[in-house]
Amino acid sequence: MNLLEIRDLTLDLPTGIRLLHGITLQVAPGETVGLVGESGSGKSVTARSVLGLLPDRAVVGGTVAVNGRSPLADAAGRQQIRRHEAAMVFQDPRAGINPMRTIGDHVTEALRLCEDWPAARARAKAVELLTAVRLPAPREHLDQHPHELSGGMLQRVMIAGALSASPKLLVCDEPTTALDVTTQSEIVQVLRELCANNGMGMLFITHDLNLAGSLCDRLVVMKDGAVVEEGPALRVLREPEAEYTRRLVAATPRITGPAAGSDDRSAAATEASASEPELVVSGAGKTYRRRGRTPVVAVASASLTIPRGGALAVVGESGSGKSTLARMIVGLEEADAGEIMVGGVDVSRASRSRAERLARAKRVQMVFQDPYLSLDPRIPAGRAVEDVLRLHTGLSGPAARSRAIELIQAVGLGEEHFAARPRTLSGGQRQRVAIARALAIGPELLVMDEATSALDVSVQAQVLDLVAGIRREQGLTLLFISHDLAVVRRVCEETIVMRRGEIVEAGPTEQLLRDPQHAYTRLLIDSVPAPA
Amino acid sequence: MTSSTPTLAIRVLRAPRRPRPRLLYWTAVVVLAVITLAATLAPMLAPDDPDAVDFMSFLAPPSPAHWLGTDSLGRDILSRIIWGGRTALIGPLAVVVFSTIIGILLGLWAGWRGGWVDAALSRVFDVLFAFPSLLIAIMAVALFGKGLWAPVIAMSIAYAPFVARLTRSLVAAERTRPYVSAYRVQGFGGAWIALRRVLPNVTPIVGAQSTLNFGYVLAELAGLSFLGLGVQAPTADWGAMINEAQSGVAAGQLLPAIAPAIAVVLSVVAVNIIGEELSDRIGGENPA
Amino acid sequence: MSAARRVAGKLGGLLLTLFLASLLVFFSRFLVPGDPVSFLLRGRKPSPESVAAITAQYGLELPPWEQYLRWILGVLRGDFGRSLQYRQDVSEVIGDRLPVTLTLVVMAGLIIAVAGVAFGAIAALNRGKVIDRIVLIGLTVLGAIPSFVGGIVLIALFSVGLGWFPSFGSGDGFGDMIHHLTLPSIALALVFIVLVGKVTRSAMVDQLGREHVEVSTSRGVARQAVVRRHVLRNALGPILTVSGVLVAGLIVASSIVEAAFGLSGIGSLLVQSVDRLDFPVVQAIVLLVVFAFVVMNAVVDILEPWIDPRSAAGAGAR
Repeated sequence: MNLLEIRDLTLDLPTGIRLLHGITLQVAPGETVGLVGESGSGKSVTARSVLGLLPDRAVVGGTVAVNGRSPLADAAGRQQIRRHEAAMVFQDPRAGINPMRTIGDHVTEALRLCEDWPAARARAKAVELLTAVRLPAPREHLDQHPHELSGGMLQRVMIAGALSASPKLLVCDEPTTALDVTTQSEIVQVLRELCANNGMGMLFITHDLNLAGSLCDRLVVMKDGAVVEEGPALRVLREPEAEYTRRLVAATPRITGPAAGSDDRSAAATEASASEPELVVSGAGKTYRRRGRTPVVAVASASLTIPRGGALAVVGESGSGKSTLARMIVGLEEADAGEIMVGGVDVSRASRSRAERLARAKRVQMVFQDPYLSLDPRIPAGRAVEDVLRLHTGLSGPAARSRAIELIQAVGLGEEHFAARPRTLSGGQRQRVAIARALAIGPELLVMDEATSALDVSVQAQVLDLVAGIRREQGLTLLFISHDLAVVRRVCEETIVMRRGEIVEAGPTEQLLRDPQHAYTRLLIDSVPAPA
Repeated sequence: MTSSTPTLAIRVLRAPRRPRPRLLYWTAVVVLAVITLAATLAPMLAPDDPDAVDFMSFLAPPSPAHWLGTDSLGRDILSRIIWGGRTALIGPLAVVVFSTIIGILLGLWAGWRGGWVDAALSRVFDVLFAFPSLLIAIMAVALFGKGLWAPVIAMSIAYAPFVARLTRSLVAAERTRPYVSAYRVQGFGGAWIALRRVLPNVTPIVGAQSTLNFGYVLAELAGLSFLGLGVQAPTADWGAMINEAQSGVAAGQLLPAIAPAIAVVLSVVAVNIIGEELSDRIGGENPA
Repeated sequence: MSAARRVAGKLGGLLLTLFLASLLVFFSRFLVPGDPVSFLLRGRKPSPESVAAITAQYGLELPPWEQYLRWILGVLRGDFGRSLQYRQDVSEVIGDRLPVTLTLVVMAGLIIAVAGVAFGAIAALNRGKVIDRIVLIGLTVLGAIPSFVGGIVLIALFSVGLGWFPSFGSGDGFGDMIHHLTLPSIALALVFIVLVGKVTRSAMVDQLGREHVEVSTSRGVARQAVVRRHVLRNALGPILTVSGVLVAGLIVASSIVEAAFGLSGIGSLLVQSVDRLDFPVVQAIVLLVVFAFVVMNAVVDILEPWIDPRSAAGAGAR
């Protein structure tokens, strides 16, 4: 009997909208199945159905069976599954663990309340579990609170809690999406070990094709609430049959193999290397001092150069200082030390007058990470671009409007989007508006701070194509901040790697990826999941 | 690293869809409109002069001559209630308008500038919070004498910190949002961003809260009149009317007290329903 | 920063607030234009003896700062001056009336805590269903009933109508006092029940939407235990903060209820003193209310590290 058997599962909202259109998938004992899809594919909802975590208002059809029992039929069956058969690891451990209770409480809660274990026995078991997930100090952690641990450590705690009832099936809903790539690879390692040691089956939900390919035996690809393809992981990735899967695989950046867009890059690169420097940063540094706490060095002493028309990537994990560096270049933060020159002009210190402010804005612009919060919710897309035009050029009235429409169309949107409020636009569309807005001023240097990290893979590919096209046409200089080496490879011919405020390595992207010099760069590259 | 909010489908499923109570809301709007209209048109609407004494009837039950009867001094209750609407509504309106304007400006300043401005203003607000609004009104009466205007000014000062605190926290949160940083990078000046872009995003929420405050102030000012410290006799005022009618309740004379009581409750309920509906609608419209 | 240091810091802030508030209370008199003696002796015959007495009591010949110092040092010793209407020490006058108000406030407080949290919890746990709507509408209507209106209605129903409770005075002896104070405390509690109920509901609804509740449910923990350990427990913080602030408001609101029910408490004393232009008593009561507020805030601040462990370490609450 299969560990998990889902057959023709449908899910409707009370309003009548159908979220799942008949999902069928299986997980055999000891097997790891990856459930892959972009946002809106229905993968999270499908995962929750396994544990019966769908609210009463949902209308469900079809069958779900965990070791023969259904979590949807009755409450008793549901409790039995939750307590003994299956467990779930959620995406955000900081949201998933009660911040007001201790780690020990979280891990032993089910044992104490559902199985009536005495406190001492539960505590001992907790230490066992925390050791199994490779936490450094299990006994101390028991009495700590979540805010005292890092994100990676908390996710291990969540996994330990899930394992407390010795489930046979582990459902993981994007468990590493909120983590750094090095932490991610550690967590994946832990999961692999635990599944192997305990003979557990795993249903692993993710949007990351490469991650799924490196970890799972079989893949199930979902789109818009339906399964479009399934099969052995390597086969699906190497020889996708469905059209959608093919597009998804093509859009997914890789750090090895032929690089997409390499022609764009090399052409631009040869032109660029011959020109004068656009951005020169020498010894820039920033330290945050807060009362009662030790000063934090966000950026130590960074130096970099980008020639006009060139593209440089800054890669690092959280706390590396890459965002702070970007903000210093753009003028949102002031450098404590060092010099920053854009187009030959010194912009190291904050602008003091309106003229300085405007001049700086004409030179450097930025696209931010969060497409939802980087647009003013009250202002329609077209007006946002118009405002910028009015500020910097003399344009007003109908002239400004038509120029704004031109710019919006140049980023791939239509005239109908002019009056649209951000709320009605998708993530990709909002980022296009942000790009149009940034380019409306005609800057020499464009800084993109994780600008595609929050987008779906296929949307990300489109936006990157757009940026490459603009770079080609306008000779734009690009500073691209990212944590994702694969994406960076697609866009920039030069890369620097940052760690804890310092630049640890710099060089041409392909060379860096092929032959890294610094140990941290090597670690980063090794942590990137690659289909086995 | 993508954001870690649960997928949209999960959020939609979790959030209960409270069917928008259209009927209740519009009923409240109508009620409030009627009360306001009646108060404005009092000279034309009221059947009698509110101060006129009918020597034929004291504490009379309802009759064609006096629809709600007369009070202990022979005055027509219905007329007094209609005229009473004026003091009942003007006071809270003044308080809400003053406190909202002062509160928004101070809150914007504190939330946007941060630093010592914020610290100093927060300290001032902390001191004002220690005084319940009714207490400040009573203090004002103790200092400046009975009437409507001393309490109104005092309450404006008492409610301003609440508005300011809300505005401040909203502005401080907005200040960290990427779209504000984007404006800065585009070259817009701080004052322009604060006044022309952040403030309009914040005022709907503050406004909705102020609508709720209207109800609280109405009840408090009526209470002040009930204590004899607010609007003075012989001016018709709902709180004062209840005070005068109080002794009659034990003797079974309910109407002179209940009629103004219903007027107060109806007004406050209507305002509260409107205020809550506005808060819900506006809160729900914020970017998900 | 350790928890102890944070709490000490907060308490220091509260003392500063108390100090600044006392300045406000004392110097408010100076806002009134004209001669301080004529202000303080309004409505009374200004005989040479009374003028001399009031000048001595307030130290009116001294510069303002010294006047304040005199007054505040007296207050710290328990000396609030002499009442103009009673020719007694203010502290005595207040002391006589304190028990009634304290009992009233405590009774109302209990009603508020129990009813408010209960209604809020019922609404939150059944959100979206009919009972939620009923509770919410009920709370809105209840909150629109000012305490004097509530008092009149309660008197009409339960005192005049059913004769279960007296409508006047505070009775003799402890049991009788409770009996007398039942209707007043209900009238007083009404508006505040709504405040606590709403905060409880919104705090619990907020927690119910949080992921850690779903995680606990997914482990098979029974619904009742999940609500108790994760929803209620986490909602305690906001509920307690709001409740702490209410107490000062209760004392002041009691003035209205005491007038409606003919009770001899601090509230009615306050109104009476304003009416009879007895400023020393007014000043003293105002200071007392502020003091109560500061004390309640201090209690909440001290309890905070237990309720929300994140604040103990200085990490922000989300």
